[in-house]
Amino acid sequence: MTATADPVARATGPAHRTGVAGLGAAAAAAAGVLALVVRPALPLVLLAGAVVLLAVADLTWRLHRQQTAARVLEAQRLDLFSQRQSTADELEVATRMLRARAETMTSVIDAVTEQSIIGTDRDGLVRVWNPGAERMLGLPRADVVRTRSIIDFHAPEELTPEELDAGGGTPFATLVQVAREQGSDVRDWTYLTADGRRLTVSVAITPRTDDDGEQTGWNFVGTDMTEVRATERLKDQFVSLISHELRTPLSSILGYLELVLDDPEQPLTDDQRQYLGTVERNAQRLLRLVGDLLFTAQVDAGRFTLQPAEVDLADIVRSAEESARVTATARGVAMSVDVPDGGLVVSGDALRLGQACDNLVSNAVKFTPAGGRVALRLQTAWRDADGALVDVPAAGATPVALLSVSDTGVGIPNSEQGRLFTSFFRASTARRNAVPGVGLGLTITKAITTAHGGTLDVVSAEGRGTTFTLALPLPA
Amino acid sequence: MDAPARVLVADDEEDIRHLVALAVGTAGCTVVAAVADGAQALTVARAERPDLVVLDVSMPEATGLEVCLALRADPATADCQVLLLSAGASPDDVARGLATGADAYLPKPFTVAGLVRQVQLLTAEHRA
Repeated sequence: MTATADPVARATGPAHRTGVAGLGAAAAAAAGVLALVVRPALPLVLLAGAVVLLAVADLTWRLHRQQTAARVLEAQRLDLFSQRQSTADELEVATRMLRARAETMTSVIDAVTEQSIIGTDRDGLVRVWNPGAERMLGLPRADVVRTRSIIDFHAPEELTPEELDAGGGTPFATLVQVAREQGSDVRDWTYLTADGRRLTVSVAITPRTDDDGEQTGWNFVGTDMTEVRATERLKDQFVSLISHELRTPLSSILGYLELVLDDPEQPLTDDQRQYLGTVERNAQRLLRLVGDLLFTAQVDAGRFTLQPAEVDLADIVRSAEESARVTATARGVAMSVDVPDGGLVVSGDALRLGQACDNLVSNAVKFTPAGGRVALRLQTAWRDADGALVDVPAAGATPVALLSVSDTGVGIPNSEQGRLFTSFFRASTARRNAVPGVGLGLTITKAITTAHGGTLDVVSAEGRGTTFTLALPLPA
Repeated sequence: MDAPARVLVADDEEDIRHLVALAVGTAGCTVVAAVADGAQALTVARAERPDLVVLDVSMPEATGLEVCLALRADPATADCQVLLLSAGASPDDVARGLATGADAYLPKPFTVAGLVRQVQLLTAEHRA
């Protein structure tokens, strides 16, 4: 407003006042001159003329001032108009952007046909129902939005009375209870479709908020897992069946072999003993494979449990070396073991840690040609704040038991090292050198290590050898 | 000298039945019967009241777990020793088996020597 007032103030400033006074003075001077040259009867006429002049001058000044004010006002009007236009333009742009954003959101949601996206208000009344939800649940948007609750599509038995109590008294409160407490929730729920089918749906529940961050409801993004879960169940049944069907004949093979091999009344010839030894070795190999398959299935299904106790890793390392020694000697591979004299105790499952250690050591022997070396070393080390393993304790570092198994074997190409821990993956060097195996040992070892809160790393150079490093947390 | 402990063997696999029977004999016990399903096992157990019942878990008619539960529930057979054999070797399988009241659980494949030891252990009271 100062800007609009100033011009007026300037227009009525001293300079203008000086101009008007100048006019008045000029009129007075003219009257004076006339008074000198005209006879005394004329003064009144002259005076009147002077007054007229003064009035004209005053009117001129007023007119000038009004014109100035008018120009200022016009300028202000134009300025305001321009501002209004600019605001209107900005508003239009913002509206267009908002509309575009909403359209984008809608088009994205509408483009999702394999997932249901359902938005509700805070009480569960459906507000958003995308084509994926139409497809999955068999109802068009118009039949659902603002008329149905999402609870109508959930199997009621999953919102049991006990859970109702915990959830605050309503099925919907139970449905969103975990998401309310933890910010989000992903789990399987049973959806009921319009034609009466029951679908197993993995639903991600998150709060829905407006532009001010206020919660206005909930989002439910669902993926139909019915077939996936059925396949998983089938796989479990298959693994269980295979386990039984393979273990049972293996029981017969190994049991009767034992009777024949250990019968003092009917001793075998050396050849017979060697042949039956081969049979037994291969039966044991089959048994290990069955065990590995079963264990991998358990890991995949998340049913892998540990039975923790205090375990001396030094004993486990020595035992692994002992198990592999016969094969190593037969292959011409030298082995060395370096463990702390006093042992190194961790909290873990002795059976599983033994399995992990056996896998690393037997792998090292398998992949090392005659004349090579396999070295086992167990020591205390530290994991620093960045997760790196260091030999010397530093501030913030935590102690770990570090087992390294190094060999001078065929090595693993760099490009394949990232897939080493994937089930059934076999390195090209293993295939080229016809090293037996199915590619489960490292998957299992990694799973066991991870379940113990540890890490398993590999450093390898093709043709030069490999070192696996297994680190397990030690009590601080 | 006391009579040898009497053992009932139940497994639907004939080869395994025979192998178990051999191991039972090696352990110094007598096989009162070797049957192929759970229902027969229960009938023979109630009739013969053996000192030890060796049960395969996975059997037709009634599983080894069901037979074990039935034996424990019947006062006539509640005191007999029960050894479960199973292809299920996971800790969960073992825990499920022992939860039925079985005295021991031996995963397949077992060694004959190990089975002989288990049979001797479970019939030690009888021999004493």
